[in-house]
Amino acid sequence: PETATRQRKEKEPFEIDFTSALDGKLAETIFTQASSNSAISLPKKDWKSKTRNLLPDDKHFNSKQLLSLFLKPKARMNSKRNRFNSRIGTSSHAAQSGSVHAADMDE
Amino acid sequence: AVTLRKIHEACCYEPMRPNKNADAADDFDEADFNAEFTRCVFRIMPVKKSESVGDRTIRFIGLFLRHANDKDNDLLGETDADASTMPETPSSRLTAEVMEAVLPLLASKDKFVRYRSTQLISHIINSLDAIDDDLFQKLRQGLLKRIRDKEAVVRSQAVLGLGRLAGNQIEGMTNPEESDDDAETGLLEKLLEVLQNDPSAEVRRSLLVNLPILPATLPYLLERARDQDAATRRAVYARLLPALGDFRHLSLSMREKLLRWGLRDRDENVRKAAGRLFRERWIEDCAGVTQPEDGEAPPEPAAPTLDGLLELLERIDVVNSGVENGVALEAMKGFWGGRPDYRDAMDFNDKFWETLSAESVFVARSFNDFCRTEGNGKYEALVEEKLPEVTKIAYFLERYLSVMIEAIQRANNQDNVGEDEEEEDTVEQEFIVEQLLHIVLTLDYSDEVGRRKMFALLRQALSIPELPDEVTKLTVEVLRDICAPDNAGEKEFCSVVLEAVADVHDAIVDDGANGDDDESFHSARSEVSGNSTPTRKGKNTKDTEMSEEESRDKAIKEIMINMKCLHIVQCMLTNVEGNLQQNDHLVSMLNNLVVPAVRSHEAPVRERGLVCLGLCALLDRPLAEENLTLFIHFFSKGHAALQITALQILTDILNVHGAQLLSSNPTLLKVYVKALRSGSRNPEVQGAATVAVSKLLLGRVVTDSETSSELLKTLIIAYFDPSTAGNQSVRQALNYFLPVFCYSRAENQDLMRSVALDTLHALYNIREGIDDDEMDVDDEMASLNTIGACLVDWTDPRKCYMPGVPMDADRKNVNGDVHLDFASDILEKLNGNLSSKYMSHHS
Repeated sequence: PETATRQRKEKEPFEIDFTSALDGKLAETIFTQASSNSAISLPKKDWKSKTRNLLPDDKHFNSKQLLSLFLKPKARMNSKRNRFNSRIGTSSHAAQSGSVHAADMDE
Repeated sequence: AVTLRKIHEACCYEPMRPNKNADAADDFDEADFNAEFTRCVFRIMPVKKSESVGDRTIRFIGLFLRHANDKDNDLLGETDADASTMPETPSSRLTAEVMEAVLPLLASKDKFVRYRSTQLISHIINSLDAIDDDLFQKLRQGLLKRIRDKEAVVRSQAVLGLGRLAGNQIEGMTNPEESDDDAETGLLEKLLEVLQNDPSAEVRRSLLVNLPILPATLPYLLERARDQDAATRRAVYARLLPALGDFRHLSLSMREKLLRWGLRDRDENVRKAAGRLFRERWIEDCAGVTQPEDGEAPPEPAAPTLDGLLELLERIDVVNSGVENGVALEAMKGFWGGRPDYRDAMDFNDKFWETLSAESVFVARSFNDFCRTEGNGKYEALVEEKLPEVTKIAYFLERYLSVMIEAIQRANNQDNVGEDEEEEDTVEQEFIVEQLLHIVLTLDYSDEVGRRKMFALLRQALSIPELPDEVTKLTVEVLRDICAPDNAGEKEFCSVVLEAVADVHDAIVDDGANGDDDESFHSARSEVSGNSTPTRKGKNTKDTEMSEEESRDKAIKEIMINMKCLHIVQCMLTNVEGNLQQNDHLVSMLNNLVVPAVRSHEAPVRERGLVCLGLCALLDRPLAEENLTLFIHFFSKGHAALQITALQILTDILNVHGAQLLSSNPTLLKVYVKALRSGSRNPEVQGAATVAVSKLLLGRVVTDSETSSELLKTLIIAYFDPSTAGNQSVRQALNYFLPVFCYSRAENQDLMRSVALDTLHALYNIREGIDDDEMDVDDEMASLNTIGACLVDWTDPRKCYMPGVPMDADRKNVNGDVHLDFASDILEKLNGNLSSKYMSHHS
C-alpha cells in the first residue's frame, strides 16, 4: 500500500516495478557480492598520476609568432618581396585553426 | 515539467500519512513500513545510470527522509533539539535500517548496483543534518572503499558523500572535544589525494565543488586551475572562486597566477569564466559596499568607482603584472569590454594626470588601448573625448620623466641608505613613464604644435644616460612614429637617434672622468663619425701610471658606454626598414659602433653587437651574405643563449633575403638540422630551432623539395620522439605548426604525404629501440596507430584550405588525390617489402 504513490512514476518509458516480488535473477544482481575487492577496484597503478592531472605550462603559440621576424616582431615577414600578399588567405586560416589551442598530444 | 513537479510534490507529502498512521494505526506497524520501504529501495539498485528515473527516485527518498526527520524532530519539541545525543525517532530508525541494508551492496559485483547504492548513501548524507555516530562510521568506511572503485561514476558518487563528511569533521575539529582521532584528518587527506590523482575528470570536478574550502584544502583546490580537463578548470573560475568570498584573502602571487592561467587558458569557456570573475566579482570585492552573507542574494553591482578599480589593480600588483606580456592588460581589456558603466564613468581630468600612480596610469593606458583596438573604432570617439590633447600629454610626460630621472639619480647616489624604498620608488616611476609612452604611441600627430613638443621632449630624453632600457625602447618607437613613414622620415629618425647616442656617449665619458686624461675628449662624435671605438685608443698612453683599480674602473665604464649605445642603436634598428647603404647615418654607425663591438673582447658587448649586426644584415643583402659564416660561427661556438640568437638572426635573414642563401650555403642547412636534434643537451636551442624551421616552412622561404622534406621529416620525428616529451616548447610549437602547415596549402599537404612513410618508419625504429625493461613504452611514446592516424589526418584533403572556398563550406567534392597517393605509397612499400622477403627466401 505504501508503494502505491510511487507507482505513478511508471509513466516513464523505463519502469521500476515496485509491486512485484523480487525475482531470483534480479535478487542475484542486487545481492551478489564481488568476488574480491580488487575485482571492483581501480588498479593500484592508477591511484597515482605522474602529472597530478595538470597541464604543462602553456607556451601560447600563435600565428603571429610564426609570421613575424624574431628580431623585429612588429615588421611583417617577407613584406619586401611581397610574397606575403599571396598568403594572406592562408594566414587568416592559420589564425582560425590556431586559436583552437588543441595542445594535447592524445588525438 | 509542471505535472512532474506536482507528482513530485504529491510523492513527497503523501507518504507522510502512511508513516504517521504507522505510529498510530494498527493495520501496518513501523516494522512493516520500514521493511516495505527497504524492499522498494532495493528495487532501485539495479537501475542503469542512464535512466533518470533512478536519480529522481533517489532524490525522492532523500527528500522524504529529510522531511520525515524534520517532522519527527518537530514533534519532539525544541528541548531536545540542542541535545548532544541524537534522539531516536521513527525516521532515524528508518534511515538506519535503510542504510544498513544498502551498505553491503556497495561491494556488489554489479556496477549499477554499486553506483546506485553509493549514490543513495551519498545523497542521504547530504540531505540529512545529523546521522547516528555508529552508522556514520560504517557509511564512511563503506564509501572510502568506493573512492577506489573501478568505475569512475561510482567514485564520483562516493566523493560527493565523503566531501560532506570531511566538511563536518573539520567543523568538529574547531571544537576540540569533538576532534577525536587521526582517521578523521585521514579522510580529508585521502580525498585530496583523489583530487590530484583520480584519472577521471568527473571525479576530480565533483570533489572540487564539494570539498569544504579550508586553508588546508585551498591550495589543492586552486591547483585544479591547471587541470587537464577544461570543464574542471572552468569550474575553478565559475564555481570555486566565486564561492570563495573575498579574493583579497588569496596571496598576491596566487591572484596573479589564477588570472594569468584563466585568461590565457587554451579553452575559450575557461577564459570567459576567468574574465567574468575579474570584472564582476573581484571588482565587487574592491568597490562593493558589503559582502553578501552566505545564502543571501548577491547585492546589486556597486556603482563604478575609480578608487575601487585602483584597488583592484593594486591587488593584482599592476607594477609587475602590467608590464609587457603581463596579464593585467588582458584583464583590463576584458574589463572595459564587459563594464560599459566603468567606461562611461571614467573622468581623466587634470587632477587625475597631476597625481598619477602606477594604478591610475594603468587605468588610463588600458582604457586607451581598449578604445583604440576594440570594437572596430566605435570607441575612438570616447577616448578622444576623455583624453587630453597631445601638447598636454607631452607636458605631463615631461613632468613624470623628470621625476623618474631624479628618483634614479637619487637611488644611484645613496648606495645603501634606504635602498629598498628608493628602488621601489624608481620602479613605480619607471612604470608610470612606460605607461604614458604607451599612450603616446597611439596618439595622432597631425597637430603640428603637439608633434614638435613631443619630438623635442623625446629627443632630449633619449640623451639622458640614466634612461632605463624599457623607457628607451618605447621612446625610440615613438620617435619613429612621429617622423614621417617614408624614406626621408626614416633618415630623420636615424639621424636624431644617433645624435642622442653621441650625447649619451659624451655624457658618460664626461661624468666622473674628472679630466684625468685625454680620454674624456674622445667624444662620441668621433665614435659615430670617426674611425675608432672608445675601447682601444689611449689605452697605452698612461697604462703605467694607472693603478689596477683605476684601469678596472675604466674598463667597466667603457663596457657601460658601449652597452648603452648599442642598446639605443638596437632599438633604432628594430624600427628601420629602408636599405642600409642608402642611409649614411646607418653606414657610419655600422662601421664605427657595431663592427668594433662584434670584435670586442668583452662578451656582453660582442653579443649585443652581434644582434645589431644581424639587424643591419636584414637591411643589406650583401652584408648578410658576407656575415653568414660569422653568424654560423657564433652558433657553433657560442653558449646556448648565443646559439639561439644566432639561429634567430639566420632565420630572419633567410626570411628577408630569400632561401637562395640557404641553398648556396650547405652548412647552413646542417645548422638547422643539428639544432633541431640538439635535444637533451640543449632543450632551449631545440625549442628555438623548432620555431625557426616552422617559420621557414610556413613562410615558404624554403620551397626546394629536398630541403623542405628533410626539415619537415625532422620536425615530425621531433614531435613524437620520446626525447622531446619534456620539452614543451618543441611539442607545443609543433602541435600548433603541423596542422596549420598541412591545412594551409595543398602543396604542403602533399609534402607531408611524401615524407609520411619514411617518417613512420623512422618512428617505428625509435619505438623498437625503447628498452621495455626500463620503462613502459606506451607511457613514453604514442603508438604507431596514433602516429599513423595523425599522418592520415594531416593529409586529409577535406581539411585543407582552398582558395575561394569558405572553411565551413560543405566539402564533398574535394580532390582526394593526396590520400590516394598516400595509399598507393603504402601499397608500393608493402609490395616492395614482400618481394624483398620473397627474394631473400629464395636466395
